Amino acid sequence: MIDPSAPGDVIRLDGVTKTYQADGAPALADVSMGVAAGEVVAVMGPSGSGKSTLLNLIAGLDRPSAGTVTVTGRRIDTLGESALARFRARHIGIIFQFFNLLDDLTVEDNVLLPAQLAGASRRQARARADELLARMGIEEYRNSYPARMSGGQRQRVAIARALVNNPAVLLADEPTGALDTATGQEIGRLLRQLNEGGQTLVLVTHDPELAERYAARIVRIVDGRLASTPAGVYR
Amino acid sequence: MRHKVQAVVIGMVLLVSTASATLGLALLAAGNAPFQHAFAAQDGADLKVIVNPARASSAQLAATRGLHGVTAAAGPFAEATVQTQFQGQPFGEFTLAGRPAPGGPVDNLVLIAGHWPTGPDQVVLNGPAGGGGPVVGNTLTVTGLPHPVTLTVVGFANSITNSADGWVAPSEITALRAPGTGPSAELLYRFTSAATDAQVRADLAEVTGALPPGTVMQYDSWLAVASQNTSNGAIMEPFVIAFALIGLAMAVLIVANVVSGAVAAGYYRIGVLKSIGLTPAQVVVAYLSRVGWPALAGCVLGVVAGNVLAIPVLHQSAGAYGVGSQSVPWWASVIAPAGMLALTVLAAFGPALRAGRLSATQAIAAGRAPNAGRGYAVHRLAARLRLPRPVGLGLAAPFARPARTLVTLAAIAFGATAVIFAFGLRASLDRAAASQSLSATVPVQIQQDGPGGGPNQVPTAEQDAAVTAALNNYPATAHQTTVYENRVKVPGVPGNANAWAFGGDSSWLGYGIIAGRWYDAPGQVDVNTAFLNDSGLAVGDTATIDTGTARVTVHIVGEVFHPSSDPTVYGSTQTLPGLGTTANMLQWDVGLQPGTSTAGYVRAVNSALGGNSPWAATTQKDGGKFYSIAIGLIGLLSLMVAVAAGLGVLNTVLMTTRDRVHDLGVFKALGMRPGQLLTMVVCWIVVPAVVAGAIAAPAAMVLNTATVNAMAGTAHTGVPAFFTQVFPPSRLALLSLAALVLAVAGALAPASWAARARPAAALRTE
Repeated sequence: MIDPSAPGDVIRLDGVTKTYQADGAPALADVSMGVAAGEVVAVMGPSGSGKSTLLNLIAGLDRPSAGTVTVTGRRIDTLGESALARFRARHIGIIFQFFNLLDDLTVEDNVLLPAQLAGASRRQARARADELLARMGIEEYRNSYPARMSGGQRQRVAIARALVNNPAVLLADEPTGALDTATGQEIGRLLRQLNEGGQTLVLVTHDPELAERYAARIVRIVDGRLASTPAGVYR
Repeated sequence: MRHKVQAVVIGMVLLVSTASATLGLALLAAGNAPFQHAFAAQDGADLKVIVNPARASSAQLAATRGLHGVTAAAGPFAEATVQTQFQGQPFGEFTLAGRPAPGGPVDNLVLIAGHWPTGPDQVVLNGPAGGGGPVVGNTLTVTGLPHPVTLTVVGFANSITNSADGWVAPSEITALRAPGTGPSAELLYRFTSAATDAQVRADLAEVTGALPPGTVMQYDSWLAVASQNTSNGAIMEPFVIAFALIGLAMAVLIVANVVSGAVAAGYYRIGVLKSIGLTPAQVVVAYLSRVGWPALAGCVLGVVAGNVLAIPVLHQSAGAYGVGSQSVPWWASVIAPAGMLALTVLAAFGPALRAGRLSATQAIAAGRAPNAGRGYAVHRLAARLRLPRPVGLGLAAPFARPARTLVTLAAIAFGATAVIFAFGLRASLDRAAASQSLSATVPVQIQQDGPGGGPNQVPTAEQDAAVTAALNNYPATAHQTTVYENRVKVPGVPGNANAWAFGGDSSWLGYGIIAGRWYDAPGQVDVNTAFLNDSGLAVGDTATIDTGTARVTVHIVGEVFHPSSDPTVYGSTQTLPGLGTTANMLQWDVGLQPGTSTAGYVRAVNSALGGNSPWAATTQKDGGKFYSIAIGLIGLLSLMVAVAAGLGVLNTVLMTTRDRVHDLGVFKALGMRPGQLLTMVVCWIVVPAVVAGAIAAPAAMVLNTATVNAMAGTAHTGVPAFFTQVFPPSRLALLSLAALVLAVAGALAPASWAARARPAAALRTE
């Protein structure tokens, strides 16, 4: 099998297998792939194919049963929980399908949270949050609570939160899955703008249009295995 | 897995709560007329008659069993009064009876420890073991005999009427009688009528009349023992009841919190069940049974645990009440689990009914998160504070669930109150013990326990002078005061009062002053509370005292701590003329120079007094058995209450981590480290704990003062103010941290579980 990862990749998976139950079928089986710095990769596949598992392994939210996961040149599958959390805070931003904002915190406090957990200074964190809120066009909602916002606004908050620590890698799990078409396209455009600024992005999606429109490369997963990887098209 | 954890938590909480409730009920029962219950259980002797067996034949003695009104009789048991030493120190006078077995129709002894004497030179002592005295296996030396006898302590037993101080094999008695001492034996009777003094006197007259003149030498009525024992036991009641009530209240709170929380946590599932067609009634039944089975298991195990835990606690309680043994009443083993189960069903019924009435979608929504909007302002405030973010997030969290937080706060407050109260009561009892025995100021006393002493033997003036000389001879003697005791008459005091007269300076003795001051001039006296109660006088009044040789008018200048129902007056030998005689000599109170070894001093004085003196130096110990037993019992009870409180906190934190498991996953995904998450979860409980501590500290102070005063009241005494002033601000502040310690201890385990959880798994959890 040809190893599709290359030495300069910001994300590298080598022979990664993830099994949840000892006697069950693997959620991911012997997956090897790489993502170059500044690249947008869309991961597609049917429900239960292993897309989210792949994303969790790259984010260090879960550990592979076999194989290695390297992000920004560091093997993360061998890190302890504390080191992994610290790594995640500094190098990885995650955007979830259902936003996963904390309802009892204001928009601003949601955005500030990863910076505060990473130990950033109060002033720097606030300046960065201000910048991101402005960039996402949600400045005026800084003191609002997420539950009172629309889906699109909430996803913008989630994107701002994911970017607050300037992560090397942005992971998005069905970022438009809970949004209407128009709002989904807005979010898609926003992600493309981020990529144009050099942000590496891994996008898990069901939506072929989103993948084809915004991703440089599409990785297909079926039953936990990589299928053919057609050449991506920049739109 | 989640349901298993929930079932285990419900089972554990019910286990601890039922165990606490069983123990609490058992203690309440133990404190209810313990003497009367033990007297009935042991077939206690209504009357003990000491006879001279030389004056009556065995047949005549045996014939008294058939007298009119006698329902049961035991004896005659030959007896001997002996002087003893323990570990080389005088250990006092013991009346030993020769009994072949502990059982019988009257005075059915309870063997507390060890075994009954099976051969010569073995003794079973009356009362609980320990308290600084001998334990099973130790030896006592009987002095004053031509050949000293060494008795091995093989057991401890309880006679509810204290028919003897100890028991040996019948064949041993003759060898234990001092030369020149006549034979004596005890006969024990139960009568059809012995409820009043008059009835007991009539019963005694019946027995005396049936025996040759001079046979009956002495008698003891059960009424006198009952009066003394009831008084002693009653001292324990206030704090035992206080702990039992705290334990019961906390058990109720925790069970209600756990069960209602468990049902509320199941709303999501209830919604799903309703969406597939379950009727409201089926939902209620399903959830009651879901909570009911683990609760039933917990209750059954809890009642077993309660009975097991009650064994040592009731052993101590029985020792304190002086009733030999106590057990968990059967109704406590029924009421406790049944009550807890009923409480569980009641606590579950409300939320289950509500869930039954909710629509499927409402139930699903209610099961996902606490009501929106609660605690948001606090979170906003916490975010502005210059605190580490996990700390701020944790401190604000309890405001999202105010009802749960309040119940948890109450459980922590109860637990902390019990712990602080236990510390305070312990300190108060320590002060009472030291004050009662004067052990802090009078480490050594010279008493009539010497090897040259004997029953009814009065020391001579020369022997007294030898003591004074021996004490004067040691530079380590800082103070010495002779103490004389006799009965005096005081108009207005029924019967006789007790009088203690001090030869020389007594200001250093350190009696606890309840009101007024210690006397410092002739004509002044101090008195105990019983004296004031009986006479109707007050500090500042004058009283007339008839010492037998003179009638003097004295000025009462102070009320001293002396827990006794016997009215007692304290003054100098100048104030109380006629008391300072050799015949009235009770003891020397001795104070030592700082740094002096008390044990070394006692050995040196006893060595100087020699082997023929009736006097011997002894070391003063704090308080005796009552205080050591009470302090042990306080420790055990407070530990149990604290464990229950910790478990209540564990449950709350566990429920909250389950409510917020998805948020915890988000925190981890955003880079929260396990240590930060642990800190945040522990901080959830900090605000309730701090508030609980602030409530518990003054509550414990009030409870302590009320309990000490109640205990003192049953002991017929007031208490000096310093007995209850055991909470200086610094100590109180430190003790109020008990709430925080309890809360953190309870929160640590679920916080650790949450910290260790994989973020991906938490994010997948609904």
